[in-house]
Amino acid sequence: MTTNGECRSNGVMKSKPRPLLSRSCSENYEINDVEVPGTPKTPRTSTTPGHEKCTFHHDLELDHNPPTREAMLPEMSRSYRLLLGSLGENPDRPGLLKTPERAAKAMLFFTKGYDQSLEEVLNNAIFDEDHDEMVVVKDIEMFSMCEHHLVPFYGKVSIGYLPCGKILGLSKLARIVEIYSRRLQVQERLTKQIAVAVTKAVQPAGVAVVVEGVHMCMVMRGVQKINSKTVTSTMLGVFRDDPKTREEFLNLVHSK
Amino acid sequence: MIEAARTLLEGLGEDVRREGLLKTPERMVEALLYFTRGYTQTPSDVVNGAMFHEEHEDMIIVKDIDLYSMCEHHVVPFFGKAHVAYVPDKKVLGLSKVARIVEIYSRRLQIQERLTKNIAAAVMDTIEPRGVAVVVESRHLCMVMRGVQKTQSVTTTSAMLGIFQEDGKLRTEFFSLIK
Repeated sequence: MTTNGECRSNGVMKSKPRPLLSRSCSENYEINDVEVPGTPKTPRTSTTPGHEKCTFHHDLELDHNPPTREAMLPEMSRSYRLLLGSLGENPDRPGLLKTPERAAKAMLFFTKGYDQSLEEVLNNAIFDEDHDEMVVVKDIEMFSMCEHHLVPFYGKVSIGYLPCGKILGLSKLARIVEIYSRRLQVQERLTKQIAVAVTKAVQPAGVAVVVEGVHMCMVMRGVQKINSKTVTSTMLGVFRDDPKTREEFLNLVHSK
Repeated sequence: MIEAARTLLEGLGEDVRREGLLKTPERMVEALLYFTRGYTQTPSDVVNGAMFHEEHEDMIIVKDIDLYSMCEHHVVPFFGKAHVAYVPDKKVLGLSKVARIVEIYSRRLQIQERLTKNIAAAVMDTIEPRGVAVVVESRHLCMVMRGVQKTQSVTTTSAMLGIFQEDGKLRTEFFSLIK
């Protein structure tokens, strides 16, 4: 990676920043997979694996628009009822009577990211701006579900990017975190998906994402380590290639 | 149970055949069974005879006991701390047993109010002290992750039995010691 691609170094702009996904410099930046492996397709259609049972998609006359998963609520509620009974509880006692429905609805809420696509969330909040300094939105609360145990994990996400002529509405960064975290996830994949999404949205010279999470599956069961946190990061473009830029981002994220 | 878990995953729209989810139904059921293992335990199981004669007449407090439970309305975790105090009547309880009693009742589908009462009643039945006080403070993920989405909010419940119900000064002393 040559210094020509740097947007700034030592606080002085050396040359015009080169975008991450432009055809002319895509060979300088390695995004091996614009689609992160293991990412389910959104919004879901009748061909999305696991979604074949949803009767909504098979009626072509209806306007194809989520919410579609409500159709699965009765079946999910039945599953929850069975689970409650098998755990040794009495599903007919007053406190648990409506629990299957509530639990199924809660689970759908925790995975509503499957119904959202990047385009609809960004809502065209992309603006041309001649800003070539780092933009950091830090400490974005994140709540997700571990795909291995279906137990919540939560924490903070900090995103930094170096714009290349285009900036993104700040709340859209938080919305990007929402779409990908409201799914069955693995923290590593979540981090990468957020970085790739920001890249696709504004084609910056670099993106950095750091996610710090507490995994209830580790705290409430299994190894039971209460104070432990998992930190994952994805560095793309200039953040990967230039240690100084990366260091600046990490300092900004950790500053009070 | 595993089939029920698999149906749940399909309902969420996921592909149950992908690598990360292949064993998830089994893991999920195992986790749920762990989170509700309190159903098969009673105080006498865990106390294990750890009761001792002692002429101690002052309050004993075990505070900041980490607590993890499951909300019975949404099957979503809630967690926080329990503070348990009692004034002994010639019998004291092994300290870790207080924490174990918290564990039996929290590892169930619970509501915080009932959990607090359960803990107080169990300590009362086990060593018959002059009074028991329990305070539970926790964050409910069902309120944080969904619904009203208030991340900082903490729910506090308390149960006062025996001398803690009658004596306001003792209660005040307890509350100031658990700060």
